[in-house]
Amino acid sequence: MKKTTFVLALALLTGAAFAQKKTTTSAIINFDATTPADALPKAENKTAVAAIDTKKGTVSFEAVMKSFAFGNPMIQEHFNGPKWLDSEKFPTAVFKGTITNLGEVNFDADGTYKANVTGDLTIHGISKPVSTTADITVSGKNVTAKSEFTIKLDSYAVGNAGGKVNNDTKISVVAELK
Amino acid sequence: MSAGNPSKKSTLKKILIVIGIGLVAAAAVALYIFTDTFDDTATQKAAYTVSANPFIKEFEKDNALANKKYTEQIITVNGRISEIEAADTTVNIKMIDTTTGSYIIFAFQQQDAAEAKKLKEGDSVSVKGSCSGGIFSEILEVESINFKRSSINK
Repeated sequence: MKKTTFVLALALLTGAAFAQKKTTTSAIINFDATTPADALPKAENKTAVAAIDTKKGTVSFEAVMKSFAFGNPMIQEHFNGPKWLDSEKFPTAVFKGTITNLGEVNFDADGTYKANVTGDLTIHGISKPVSTTADITVSGKNVTAKSEFTIKLDSYAVGNAGGKVNNDTKISVVAELK
Repeated sequence: MSAGNPSKKSTLKKILIVIGIGLVAAAAVALYIFTDTFDDTATQKAAYTVSANPFIKEFEKDNALANKKYTEQIITVNGRISEIEAADTTVNIKMIDTTTGSYIIFAFQQQDAAEAKKLKEGDSVSVKGSCSGGIFSEILEVESINFKRSSINK
């Protein structure tokens, strides 16, 4: 009897743990380092992994650098090359953060909430703090998160190719999590 | 009054012509490089044709070796669709090794976006795409192998 109760409790706890962790492997991350003189350095990654723990408020993203698809083959090669992002050596970009106003985001009620997210973004092997806001839309068991922020490439030891690439690079993220 | 050295004038003219041709050629090359786009994946020859599960196993067994072999190569993968996920206005499809949870995910090129939306879970498909490589996902704790610019083999 005790054993049955223990197993049941364990199953319920495990189920609850999975229920509070929403994930996707199809988060979309856009990278825009264009300048008025050069419209080529922009790319989209449609296969990033993302997760939100709705109880703890933790947020994480993981993107394979070589999954950023550029329109121009040469720019894509430069992007991944040793003089820029060096994707062989640093194959992923990772964000790990938390929702700092978790009390204002009700994951149990449908609606759109403004979340404040703070964490560390690691690109090119360098971690830097990032603070941004995210629009979180809850619809039943599904959660959609959208965020936009700007990073400075030089703070990640990434050059701007003599001004051809914008040092203030826009990053946008859209994730539909289940 | 000197009319100049006709030989020197001729040499100068030749140099200017060579420089002119060089500039035009450089401009043409630059124009080609900067306006170049990726070819339709459907028209590209696959370097490898693999089945989904053994392909995943290769990455699980030796990630570095598999990445060296397959990354940035055009590969045809045959397998069954385990899951379909919304991705912007189209979908991504996944082939999952149910014993480990490791997976291959395909993002489609624009030309195949509409066709991809017709796919269903359980469908057996042949997909050709550019392999972006595999990583061990710290979030999901499984091997994640990514493809971009994928095309559905008819």
